[in-house]
Amino acid sequence: MIDIKKIATAGAVVAGLTMAANTAMADSSTRVALVPGGPHPYFAAWEQAGKDAAKDFGLGSADYKVPQKWELSLQNQMLESLVTQGYNAFLVFPGDPVGTVAIADELAATGAPVMALAGCLKDPSQAVFCMGTDTGNSAYLGTKELLKVLPKGAKIAHFTGFLVDPNTQLRIDAVEKAAKEGGAEVIQVIADIDAPEPAEEKINAYLAAHAGEVDGLITTAWVPAVVASNALRKIGDKRIKMVGIDHDEVVLGAIKDGFVHGTMLQNPYGQGYLGSYAADRLRSGCTVKKDAPFKSIALTDKFIDSGTVFAGADAVDNYVGSMQKITKDIFADFEGKYLNCG
Amino acid sequence: MKRELWNQDWFGPFAVTVLAIVIVGALKPSFLSPFNIQILLLAISVNALVAFSQMVIIAIGQMNLSVGAIGGLAAISFAGMMEVWGLPWPVAAVLSLGIGLLAGLTNGLLCAYTGISAFVITLATLSVFKGFNLGITEAQPFYDVPEMVKWLGNATVLGPIPWLVLPFAVSAVALWYLLFRLPLGRSVLAVGGNTHAAELSGISVPRIVVFAHSVSGLLAAMAGIMLVARLQLGQPSIGDDWLILSFAAPIIGGAVLTGGRVSVGGTCCGVAIVAIITQVLVLFNIDPFLVQVVLGGLILWAVGVNRIREVRGQRKAAAAGI
Repeated sequence: MIDIKKIATAGAVVAGLTMAANTAMADSSTRVALVPGGPHPYFAAWEQAGKDAAKDFGLGSADYKVPQKWELSLQNQMLESLVTQGYNAFLVFPGDPVGTVAIADELAATGAPVMALAGCLKDPSQAVFCMGTDTGNSAYLGTKELLKVLPKGAKIAHFTGFLVDPNTQLRIDAVEKAAKEGGAEVIQVIADIDAPEPAEEKINAYLAAHAGEVDGLITTAWVPAVVASNALRKIGDKRIKMVGIDHDEVVLGAIKDGFVHGTMLQNPYGQGYLGSYAADRLRSGCTVKKDAPFKSIALTDKFIDSGTVFAGADAVDNYVGSMQKITKDIFADFEGKYLNCG
Repeated sequence: MKRELWNQDWFGPFAVTVLAIVIVGALKPSFLSPFNIQILLLAISVNALVAFSQMVIIAIGQMNLSVGAIGGLAAISFAGMMEVWGLPWPVAAVLSLGIGLLAGLTNGLLCAYTGISAFVITLATLSVFKGFNLGITEAQPFYDVPEMVKWLGNATVLGPIPWLVLPFAVSAVALWYLLFRLPLGRSVLAVGGNTHAAELSGISVPRIVVFAHSVSGLLAAMAGIMLVARLQLGQPSIGDDWLILSFAAPIIGGAVLTGGRVSVGGTCCGVAIVAIITQVLVLFNIDPFLVQVVLGGLILWAVGVNRIREVRGQRKAAAAGI
């Protein structure tokens, strides 16, 4: 299992540092629903984050609710059902950047603060902001890290996630950009493989045919990173360098054993924790600052980067510490930067 | 009446498979490299069991939408029992097969004795089984898979032939023998061909329905267990992608959706064709959107060919005054 204990510990430490300053903010009527697009290990940290936030900030509840499948209609039905169950704040990974706007607006019309988490809605929408990894930037930085250990003119392959995921195209473009800048060539993009069976089949088929032609692999989705790490271990090829994404044990193990160069850590715990906190503050009367320093990305002008960091062999044992530090840093001035609570 | 070789259900898909191997092998010699053959056989071994699981239900003229959910539940149960309870892998495998069997049995009993269509029943149980899966795993994989299981999932027995071919081959032969050599299997096809006639001839239709669903559950569970060995972890999303393949391969292999006619060999070739197409799209760097389009086109083609054959058969029978 993913080391939830470690993530929980990280959360507890962050919470411990912040709790004292925030106990006065409690509004026990706030019931936050954290709703991913479907079942996926990336979002698992949201559950603990919600629990910790509920405890630390005195929320009524902050519950992680997973649609059974990656289907927009299923997610929409779940969100509607959660309104009737009394949830009054929503942190949602949009099943579709445009398709989810309507339901987000519907939820906002009930008076509930709605935030897009881990992926953004396309503007205009009633979501107060979007908090997630700047996926483009993460893919860009990951590719740059990869190019550091590759010769000039290297050929790289990019394995990425669901084509319906709003982040996928951003990642493809970012990898292409970083490769071009570094004088490398992206010779193949294999997408829609963020599920075990297609990832296993396609990544292995690719390596069987092209292992000799490719110098590096960049993977920008969870399952492809796991499968590619296993594949490189299986063929025992340390010539091909790889940069993965996220903190799956398989990827971390492959980094330690030298089959993978490193991974781009994201901060799902921080998203859930900070999002729940912000939802409660907004329900307590705070408003989003008009001049809040949001970033602009392709989908929205109201983006908050939840942080990303590269972890190589030297940092892999302390990945929890890295995630913890990011969350702590964002939390320290979150209210001052983004909210108006006067 | 003995049918000519080229009129056998499996012959068309077999010819397409051979042709595809020759053409792709000529254009991309690495396609026939030992490593790629191993990858191809691994995919075929698991996917064939998924297809068999659906094929048995198609044989009785029904459909099972919960094949992937049963396989996924068995997979995470297998990995979970080893990680959480520390059970030895053979015990965990047998218990997981039991879970698959039980899930199939539940489908069968509900279909046979409620009078509700299998489509609706298995749509509901899909949700139930997937719900159990997510409830157990909370969408997180089980990682502590024993080395022996990992080895079985990746080791080869003879040249590029993986160990996982063995359960596939045994299942294929056993299914063929069951369906075409044993009275029980003949009853399965009879129920699919004409339920009323089967009932009048003394076959217990509910029992056959329960039997077919149980076999289907068992095969889906076997596929799930094999995937854990192949992936080296128990992913909760195992099985989510099985539905289209489970129908595509038997149909490409000559199965008639109304029941009574399936082909084990044809289904194997259907699986091989889908696996080759998937690989070709990767090897030739073709847009991933096309995988679904090509698969859909193939199903339409296969259903069309089946329909033409049916119409021809009916005309011949009419001409012969049968």
